[in-house]
Amino acid sequence: MSHEAALHEGHGHEEHGHHEHHDTFLTKYVFSQDHKMIAKQFLITGMVWAVLGGLMSVLFRLQLGYPDASFPWLESLLGKWAKGGQITPEAYYALVTTHGTVLVFFVLTAGLSGTFANFLIPLQVGARDMASPFMNMLSYWFFFTASVIMMSSLFVETGPFSGGWTAYPPLSALHDASPGSKTGMDLWIISMALFVVSSLLGGLNYIATILNMRTKGMSMTRLPLTIWALFFTAVLGVLSFPVLLSGMILLIFDRNFGTSFYLSDIYVNGVGALSNEGGSAILFQHLFWFLGHPEVYIILLPAMGMVSEIMSVNSRKPIFGYMAMLGSLFAIAILAFLVWAHHMFVTGLNPFLGSVFVLLTLLIAVPSAIKVFNWLTTLWRGNIRFTPGMLFAIGFVSLFISGGLTGIWLGNAALDIYLHDSYFVVAHFHIVMGVASMFGMFAGVYHWFPKMYGRYLNNTLGYVHFWITIAGAYMIFWPMHYQGLAGMPRRYFDFSIWESFKQFAELNRFISTVAMIVFATQILFLINFFYSIFKGRKVTVLNPWESNTLEWTTPIRPGHGNWPGEIPEVYRWPYDYGKDGHDFIPQTTPVGADETGTH
Amino acid sequence: MSHSHTDQEAHNAEAMAEIKKVTIILSVFTIIELMLGFWMMSMTSVALKLAIKGTIVILMMAKAFYIVAYFMHLKHEVKNLIMTIIVPLLLFVWFISAFLWDGSSFRNLRNDYDPHFKEQATIKVEQKEEAHGASKQEAAETKHESLAPTKETSKPEPTPYY
Amino acid sequence: MSTTTTASPNEAKLWGGGKSPFNSEYGKVMMWYFLMSDAFTFGAFLISYGTVRFSTNGWPNSNEVFRSFPFAPDGVHAPLVFVSIMTFILIISSVTMVLAVHAGKNMDKSGVVRNMILTIIGGLAFLSCQAWEWNHLHSEGAWWGMNPFLNADGTASTTNFTNFFFTITGFHGFHVFSGVVINIIMLIMTLLNKFEQRGHYLMIEKAGLYWHFVDLVWVFVFTIFYLL
Repeated sequence: MSHEAALHEGHGHEEHGHHEHHDTFLTKYVFSQDHKMIAKQFLITGMVWAVLGGLMSVLFRLQLGYPDASFPWLESLLGKWAKGGQITPEAYYALVTTHGTVLVFFVLTAGLSGTFANFLIPLQVGARDMASPFMNMLSYWFFFTASVIMMSSLFVETGPFSGGWTAYPPLSALHDASPGSKTGMDLWIISMALFVVSSLLGGLNYIATILNMRTKGMSMTRLPLTIWALFFTAVLGVLSFPVLLSGMILLIFDRNFGTSFYLSDIYVNGVGALSNEGGSAILFQHLFWFLGHPEVYIILLPAMGMVSEIMSVNSRKPIFGYMAMLGSLFAIAILAFLVWAHHMFVTGLNPFLGSVFVLLTLLIAVPSAIKVFNWLTTLWRGNIRFTPGMLFAIGFVSLFISGGLTGIWLGNAALDIYLHDSYFVVAHFHIVMGVASMFGMFAGVYHWFPKMYGRYLNNTLGYVHFWITIAGAYMIFWPMHYQGLAGMPRRYFDFSIWESFKQFAELNRFISTVAMIVFATQILFLINFFYSIFKGRKVTVLNPWESNTLEWTTPIRPGHGNWPGEIPEVYRWPYDYGKDGHDFIPQTTPVGADETGTH
Repeated sequence: MSHSHTDQEAHNAEAMAEIKKVTIILSVFTIIELMLGFWMMSMTSVALKLAIKGTIVILMMAKAFYIVAYFMHLKHEVKNLIMTIIVPLLLFVWFISAFLWDGSSFRNLRNDYDPHFKEQATIKVEQKEEAHGASKQEAAETKHESLAPTKETSKPEPTPYY
Repeated sequence: MSTTTTASPNEAKLWGGGKSPFNSEYGKVMMWYFLMSDAFTFGAFLISYGTVRFSTNGWPNSNEVFRSFPFAPDGVHAPLVFVSIMTFILIISSVTMVLAVHAGKNMDKSGVVRNMILTIIGGLAFLSCQAWEWNHLHSEGAWWGMNPFLNADGTASTTNFTNFFFTITGFHGFHVFSGVVINIIMLIMTLLNKFEQRGHYLMIEKAGLYWHFVDLVWVFVFTIFYLL
């Protein structure tokens, strides 16, 4: 087979770049098969969900901060869910549950990896589009349908599911367990099933594109770390989401067809309350967390990858320890599958098995520490450009360290007996997984916005956004550690009735106030985002961040097919910053004759 | 391409021989499994039963190997593709062991701390023969009506929760 | 293409970009990873079955449950016989699928058509057997949430044996059904000369991967439910 033929085979979309598409509005903006448009669709849907999910958290923080106050506007907003201007306990639980589900799955999974995997993979590996643009489009529309169904569950008579985002049975398996366990839970399951399909279609596409569609010269070790991170994210998703799907199918049978996979036994006044029994509720938790723990890394890894890339670009230094970064990504991806039961130390798990999980869990600290030190050493003596994107990247590292350290506490089964289900846990995972990934997402948006829309975001607003958000994030979640250590349990509607928790009334009010301010700041970001799409400063140079990666070799506003002419060939790794007296050497620059130490 | 016509034919014959070989292997393994299954029915020794079950699992894995390697052609793929498929499947080792481990632990815990659960496992249901004889149908139906049979012996009739 | 090059330059060529490192088009790569993902779906089901079985005292003896045979009189107990027929049907249909893929590689349209038809017949036969078995078990009072069978030691059983049996074989049957649909589509496309025009029968190969996977899953389901 001739070399040209081989090249051509790997790029089935070669011809797409050359002729102009004449798209109607529908094919360009709605049923688009262009990966960049799909990325924007994911991003904006994710942002809508982020606002809703954030608003929910503000509402239940309002209850926690001001348990005695009454807000008439709440009643006009929520109707019967806030009788007399105070959120009802049912509404509180529904809000907490939906907040968790939405933020974890719709914002930080679809919104984060959906956006940036779609946007960056073809651009950074040098492909015209995804391997299968059609499946890519389906992936978005499955996600959209899942979104619509989840959204509609907010409006059913009995409310959305209210048993926590983990949907443990029996709350999720019995129709009468809580108001939200009726239609709300059915819709929740359907929505999650569609979401699994979406993530599967997306993930297979990302993997196939990264493996098969790399441009000439783009060997695996010349891939930017973003792509590696997104690759492992896709692998995690493809292997773990099916397990959730199985768990959900069994759950549907338990709910509607009289089975008892997850129902062991329930007694009310000494009388067995179930018509069928003999299952194991722990089984569901195993199945859920077999997805749930990789899910944490599905959320974190894209942020890690983007942060690596943004840090290197803005420090004008090569990433420190590229291979170590790869190795630690790989180690994290493997370990992600081996540690799920550390979420279940106190649920009746075999204690000895628990100790095995402790060991495996604590092992994650090693690759995580490698990554942190590599980021810090990348910054070390760099010529740092403090763009908003860079600030958010540094913020990510800060949050990842603060949240990761408490993870070491919680990974100990013995400590977990004391700390489990307390605000310590809430603080831990919000910092390390929630806010940190959010920061990664913000960093990515600030950094790649010029590529997405051909305009810059407003820098001043970006700085305001960053400083208020990071200060706010710490002010919200730092005190929660103390509350948790003092024994304050999570998922409680009202703490004011306990003498021992009354002392935290002030602190709760403080947290709630800061939460509202931080939420308002995110609105500022949204204004910045949508204003800049239409009115932002125009990008006039091809490579505004003076970056090495391939996406900056495309036109300022690339069309479908990305490169108007040939796809550029790659001759080096993407981290040649400050090398041989050059500030940066793009990947497309051929290796000079006297150049040293090329990758 | 350098393949001549005769090369192609030789290759074809080779492939057909391989298909035949794998078909025979799969059939033989299945027959052995079935024979072991029949043999196991009349067996009382728990240890021997376990050994046979182990053999059956090994045969199952061997069959899976032949299907994946030859029918799905994985053995003739590039080594890297093989590795990217085999390595993730290794996750099943811990997936299976942790789940089963915790499953049996759940049983032991309940046997230790839930006397009712343990008691249930000792009460034999009467008319066992009848339940499988001619009146099987009826027995099944009565069973269906009271879905928690042993509970009747120790507790009042359960009120269904939903 | 030379086949005598040493390993390392070959490796570099494979992974150097501009081509697939696996020498296969993206569809096949995706199919493989999809099947891997589906293996986790089935794996999760079967492991759940194992977990629940391990956490229960006593379990029905499958030889007393699956012992009927179509058209046999009621008293006849023939454990394992019917299911072994089902297993062989699936193995044979897998073989015809391999032959179809093989014929496709040789651009032998009539061979593809013949073997695809045989594979479809095999799939339909398997589904019919399963339908009979389900129907029979249902007539005995077994269904989701209903289990007429006692544990092997004569104690009362939970319903989880039938729960899992119907869920897992149902999910497998659903896969067989979709496999048959895919195979019918492939057959029609072959008859319409779609693959002749494309110059390759790669679609048949991908459908074949799916079909073999269905067979592979049955190997596990059969062993775990009927033998262990």
